[in-house]
Order: sequence, then C-alpha cells, then structure tokens
Amino acid sequence: MVITSTGFSRLARLTGKAWGVADLRIAEYPGPLGIHDSGQIAHNVESSLIDGIVNGLTRDEESGGAATAARSRNQRDIVCSGTAEDVNGFFASKEWSDGLPIVPPTIARVEAFLKFTSRSPEEAIATLPSANLRATPWNIAANAVMAGCRPEHMPLILAAVEALGDERCCLGSLGSTSGIFPYILVNGPIVKQLGIEYGAQLVSRGPNPAIGRAIGLIVRNIAGFRPGASYMGTFGCPLAFTLAESEDETPWEPFHVQQGFDRNASTVTIGVTNNWGASPAAYDTPEQNGAETALQLLAREITHKTRLFNFPGSGPDAETVMITLLISPSVAKSLAAAGYSKHDVITQVYEKTRMPLREFDWVLKNTAIMRTTARERAQAGVFPQEFMGAPDDIVRVLSSPDVLHVMVCGDPHRNRIMVLEGGHTQPTTKPITLPSNWDELLRQSTK
Amino acid sequence: MEKLDVVSPAGLDAVKVTRAAPRINDLNGKTVGEIWNGVFKGDLTFPIIRRLLKAKFPGVKIIPYTEFYHLPGSDVPSHQRELARQIVAAARDKGCDAVISGNGS
Repeated sequence: MVITSTGFSRLARLTGKAWGVADLRIAEYPGPLGIHDSGQIAHNVESSLIDGIVNGLTRDEESGGAATAARSRNQRDIVCSGTAEDVNGFFASKEWSDGLPIVPPTIARVEAFLKFTSRSPEEAIATLPSANLRATPWNIAANAVMAGCRPEHMPLILAAVEALGDERCCLGSLGSTSGIFPYILVNGPIVKQLGIEYGAQLVSRGPNPAIGRAIGLIVRNIAGFRPGASYMGTFGCPLAFTLAESEDETPWEPFHVQQGFDRNASTVTIGVTNNWGASPAAYDTPEQNGAETALQLLAREITHKTRLFNFPGSGPDAETVMITLLISPSVAKSLAAAGYSKHDVITQVYEKTRMPLREFDWVLKNTAIMRTTARERAQAGVFPQEFMGAPDDIVRVLSSPDVLHVMVCGDPHRNRIMVLEGGHTQPTTKPITLPSNWDELLRQSTK
Repeated sequence: MEKLDVVSPAGLDAVKVTRAAPRINDLNGKTVGEIWNGVFKGDLTFPIIRRLLKAKFPGVKIIPYTEFYHLPGSDVPSHQRELARQIVAAARDKGCDAVISGNGS
C-alpha cells in the first residue's frame, strides 16, 4: 500500500491503474507534509494516517475496480453529435479540451490529416505515460485537428509523439508540482516548408501556437495528464509552445546537427521547461563588451532558478537537469564575433555559474524535498567533489556543461537572452518522416 | 446550424488491469517492509508509523526503510524499473508479507 498527502490520492489511483493495479490501497496524510513541523506530523500520523494504513493493510476493498484485459475501442466511433458549441461543451465535460474552443474532430477532418502519413491509422506509435495509453495516427490526428493544426503538420506531430514516448523524454515526470511543460523545437527544411516562425515573436505567430497546443492536448488526452489529478503544477502551466531555430542567422551549428542529424534533415525535438519568464538584455558598455555581459547574464539567470538545488546532480540517482539557453541572433553574432563557438559559450556559462557553498546549502536545505545535505550527496557521488568543501568555497553550480543547450532564435534585432529551466528530461530529437508525395500534398494543401 | 459527428481524442488502453493482492487480516506474526524514496519527510513519518503499528500489533515485525534502497531521484525509466525489481527482490528476501510505500506528495 502507499501513503500520499491530501490532493495526491487521485494521482496514486490513476498511477496504479496505469501500471495495471485497479484497486491500489492508499492511506492519506492530511495536509501538505512538506511545510508541517514535527509536532504537526506526529499529530496527523497518530490521529489520522495510521488508521488508513491499518485499514489498507488488513481490509479488502469491497468496491475495487475489476480486473480487465486492455480494452479495444473502435476509433471511428462517434462520441458526440451536435453543433460546434455542443461538441465544445461535451469535450470540456470530459476534460478533453484545454479551456479554449477546439475544432471538432470529425472523421473527415481526421482523415485529411491521415493523408499526410503512410502509417496505418491503428498503428501503435507509442505508449505514453502517465496513463500508459496507446497513441495511434488516428488519435494523434484527432488532437491535432482540435488544436487548429493543418493536415500538413501531421508528420511533424507524429515525430513529436515518438519523442514523447522515448525513454529519454521521461514523460512520466511531467506531473511534478513544480509545473513542467513541454516545448517543441523544429529544425531543418520543414521549418520553411510549413512557415514555422523562428524570428521575432516566434512562439506566438504562424502555426507555432497550434502545433504547441496539439502537443499539449496529446499530453492531456493520450498521455492522460489531467490538471489537478495527475498534472500537478502548483500554478498550472501555459500552453506548450513551439520554437524553430534561426538556421540562416546562427553563426553555429544548429541544434539538430549537434544531435547527430544531417543539416538537411527535418527534425522535431521535445524539451521541457519549468518556466517561461524574464528575458533580460545584454548591453555593450564602455567597461565591458556585450558578449561578456551576455555570458555573465546567462550565468546569473541560472543561479536564480527554482530548482537550483538539483543542478549539481548527475548519474542514475540524480534528477536529470535540462537548461535551455535561448539566444537572439544579434547576441549570438556578438558572441561569435568575440571568438566564442557554441561549445565555448556552453563551457563559459558552466564555468561562470558559481555561488558560495553556504548559499547553495541554504537553497538545498530550505527549498528542496530531499533530506540529504550537499556533502552527503557529494559523498554518494551524485554531486561533484567540490561540494564537500568549506562553506565559503565558491562552487560551480552545474554538474557539467552537458546540461546546457543553446538555441538561436527570436527577434534578430533584439539583444535578449532567456534561460529555460527544466528537469527530468533530456532533449529528445527525432527525424520527421515525410510521405513520398509530400511536395504535391503540400502544394495542394496550401493553395 | 451544422450538425457535427466527432470522434474521441483519447488514447487506447494498452495495459491489462489486475487487482491488488488480498489483505492480511491480522499483522501479528507478519513482516511489513517500509519503502521510502528519500523525500517528503518519510524519515519523520515512518518511525511514528512503526511505533504505532507495533502498539496495535505487538507480534508484527517491521523492516525499516534503511534496510532498503532509499535515495531520491532517478529520471531514467529503465533504472526506475530496475530499482523497483531490486526492492521487490529485497522485500522477498527479508520475508515481507506486505510493504508500505511513501510518501507521495
């Protein structure tokens, strides 16, 4: 049996079912454990939790879910008939929409998307946690229709779902209360073929919002993340967003080439972020050039992030850290002109992201959920050895340069950077497979 | 107004669902393991639970969480599955009839 605290029992039940246990026994601790002191905890365990534990260990549940084989369902079954308003109301009642109106997924609309893939509508593309439900071209298309995508977006979205299902993506961790949400990065010729924005205002123009929304709906409806039940971000999450690199503007290799793909390959990458926040500007001043300011600014931004306590961790017993550095083309060019390769930028930011061990210990002690000190984590090999030093030692906050990922995009005329903090996931890149008649289909579709 | 017939966007079931093991009516003479993943104050709650369970069932044997793997944080699903297998094997080796896992928060 398992112990949860208030608000997490539905998550435990859903997780049990996702892994094949219909009647997982749960004992609930009343209230938020993390902020209760030892006296409150003792009172709550003695007055409430212990009874739930004894009950869960000793009494069979009378109305537990029945054992069932995985049910098959005809994906062409009509689940609602009515006006667009009726459909929106029905989908909202089923928690299938994200609070915005959806495009009703009719069979004809779904079939229009299926023309853009040679895969069978029933084929298993991935089994997505947390609910461990099967994604098929059919239900992927239904979600893409709902989001307002166009049929020609289908190959990109299919590849994105393959990335969501990849072990490296660790999608099951998305439910964290820290509020993690996915983003999509598109590289290669498909960026221009589909008119995906990579310049000024990129996340809020062109097809970018609809593609991001489709991934958000897939995370909700196929992966089964339901806000407040299994998607537990304390303040919620904005809609998933879509980036594309400024491959004509970047002075460095684009992201997908670094991931091992040919420059002319089209790829989609799923990343995650806990934040979508400030985008400070790097200025060139008489005292310091803009490139140096940009490097220092990136480092300073990292030390202000919420999950700083995880950043030194590495290895199988650490939470995966993924920090994405968005650099506008003008800043990237300033850095390149100053002699910094992308590798140099990453190395410099890694070296410059430092703080006194005493300050890091405060963050770890007061804002982290784990009950081990930095020294203990260093002794266990999870943190670097420098975390075993004296309180006034200045330590590098990141485990290695490998957790940093640089993407060049945004308004080419602005000198801004943004640091996206993420955890649990590694960047997961997949090639986008196009149907053999892609050019013809695209011409017809965009007439 | 146009009438629309629409399909479901939900994923398809992929997992066979079973029921949990039968419960144990009396914990006296039984062995219960504590499984803690190192977070959310299990180091505070489990000692209290241990004391209260022993008060209610004097014959129960409890294997504390320190006897099992209890480090937090892994983002490698295959490693998570391997740890789960190791914990199950350790519980069997130690003769556990039941385990309490916590804290989910």
